[in-house]
Amino acid sequence: MSLALYYYLSITAVNILMSWALYVPYRMAHLHFITVANMAISGYTAGYLVMALHVPFTLALAIGFLLGGLIGYLVSLFIGDAPTFAVVIVGFTFITITRTVIENMPAVGGTMGMFGLPNIGGSPSVHRFVILGILYGLVVLVGFLIHRFDHCSLGRAASAVFVDKDLAVSLGIDIRKLGILLQTFSCTLAGGCGVLYGFIYRSYHLDFFTFHLVGITMTIIFVGGYATMWGTVLAAPLLYGIPLLFPPEIASWRIVIYGALLILVLVLKPEGFITRRSVHCVEAFLSRRQKN
Amino acid sequence: MKKAKFVVVAAMALVFLTTGFGFAQTQAQVKEWRVPFLNCLTGAIASIGEYLQWGAERAALEINQAGGIKGKPVKVIGVDTALDPQKGSVEMARIVEEVTLVALGPVPEPVIMAAMPIAVENGMMSVTATTSYEYAVKFFPWTVSWFPPTEQRLGELVAAWAALHPAMKTVVQFVEPYGPWPGMAEAHVKGLTSAGVKVLPKVDVPSDAVTFGPLVVKAMEQKPDGIVFVCNAEKIAKIIRELKSRGWTKMDHLLVFSSGDAPELYATGGADINGVEIYNYINPNLDTPRWNAFKEAYMKAHNGNQPPSLSTNYYDAVYMIKRAIENTAVTGDPKKLKEERKMIAEYMANMKDFHGIMFNWDMKNGVPTNKPTFIFSIQDGKKKLVKEVKP
Repeated sequence: MSLALYYYLSITAVNILMSWALYVPYRMAHLHFITVANMAISGYTAGYLVMALHVPFTLALAIGFLLGGLIGYLVSLFIGDAPTFAVVIVGFTFITITRTVIENMPAVGGTMGMFGLPNIGGSPSVHRFVILGILYGLVVLVGFLIHRFDHCSLGRAASAVFVDKDLAVSLGIDIRKLGILLQTFSCTLAGGCGVLYGFIYRSYHLDFFTFHLVGITMTIIFVGGYATMWGTVLAAPLLYGIPLLFPPEIASWRIVIYGALLILVLVLKPEGFITRRSVHCVEAFLSRRQKN
Repeated sequence: MKKAKFVVVAAMALVFLTTGFGFAQTQAQVKEWRVPFLNCLTGAIASIGEYLQWGAERAALEINQAGGIKGKPVKVIGVDTALDPQKGSVEMARIVEEVTLVALGPVPEPVIMAAMPIAVENGMMSVTATTSYEYAVKFFPWTVSWFPPTEQRLGELVAAWAALHPAMKTVVQFVEPYGPWPGMAEAHVKGLTSAGVKVLPKVDVPSDAVTFGPLVVKAMEQKPDGIVFVCNAEKIAKIIRELKSRGWTKMDHLLVFSSGDAPELYATGGADINGVEIYNYINPNLDTPRWNAFKEAYMKAHNGNQPPSLSTNYYDAVYMIKRAIENTAVTGDPKKLKEERKMIAEYMANMKDFHGIMFNWDMKNGVPTNKPTFIFSIQDGKKKLVKEVKP
């Protein structure tokens, strides 16, 4: 596999997973940007564990997931049923606080960053194989879990909350518990992504975890379709591929292209390219074929 | 006589054969020398990326006008990373897989962190000519540092500045937490302390600061005799204006660090920064045909604006690559890519007496050993040399 393809595939997988991490809480109208802070916290923690304490990568990765989940859970106790705006503010605040804390921690490289993360498995080719394997294994696993969530009562409850919170409460849905569950899941996923993101580059820098990442995931979700998980799968590789595949003269306009796409989609197809209806149509078609 | 003639002819034939073979060995096997430059041509620092690219392309133009490298033209190819580590890594991966002997960049530090490990893993030199020693050294020997270790370089420089103002007993720093800047501020502390100046607790400048009154009050409460600025150029200008509005008059006791020497400082500061001192690594007042030609061409291409200090970095880097190719057996033969990449890296790391556009210097194990630095006084948007500090 070419090196460029490896980086394209691995970063696309992170973008898919991080977009799903945003998609899941957004099913109940929470824009949970704290996930970017989770990436940074878990990533730097794992990097420190591996570099300074020689903890094996798999254990560091597991700790990254758990740390993300723990932070997500603790924060969700306060904002599990908060209004969307409050959740957004908490997320932005966490990103800023996390950056400030890391900037002032020489043990993890401070503003310079963390260099020289080791190759997993001892060689670059094994490292790439392991990273890709874990990433796409996660894509399949998380995709399966989200698919099951979307098709079960929890998913329907989240949809009800998205449409009308008060109505959802009157139907007996515990918004707070649902919010805690979804936010914790989202942060757990983001924590693991943070660890893997740094190991793709074999370094960590604060500017890997900025509001720019928020912009990328938002564009992926809203262009691809925020009502289903499949929009992300379509949009992530395409949006990331545009600046790489197009000639430089067009690629340099990518921010304009993203913005224009977002506006066009929000105006013409507010639900995104892939809507719930189109997914139902495809599922119905496949189901008919199976019966036949 | 016949025997002597035979010997002479045989010897000449032998010389021609060997040199011919040698010449064929080092003769360029490329139609052009392609040098990708991983740069920020779009995004937040596109204005900096533009003049870095301009400098590199200017060098390529001059080299080609003089006959190229081993008779073949050189082409600098701008590869936009848009300040995005994601894009930077994929672009570097593409570059190392192509028949690329050497690259320029990446710019800036987040992209360096993401992309340089790829160059290192694949044994290809990429010249990071705008970052500090502390970043570059992590990727040796597959890059060179443009600067000596920060502590050594800046320590001497600020000590020289302090010596210019013997009445200055205490100094405070405004420090923005970005990349190598806190490290540079630490180096200032050591230098000033060695010169007998007391360094007061620094004032942190948040990256998203938009008002500076409280920061200036915090600094002035400590009653410093002098101030050193280690933050973004525009912020420096605004802080200086705030200082002046609160009664600061000793303008020559204000020192701006090198990264603050950017167009935003002058555009935002205007007349308010007259008298402020600034240090940097090039002297724009140099009077040599080469520099004058560069300056004139830059001003013509940029509406009369003076060339920023970093504009010469990649200009010199392209000339270093030229010299490396010309003085090694590099041919551009794809079959010898690995060994030729190594040749270039080894040669550049220990290049002696390189003739840069500003001054000559030596490289030792990837680190320049004798580059001077300069302290200027700003007057009406121009820098007047106050002192040249030689290591």
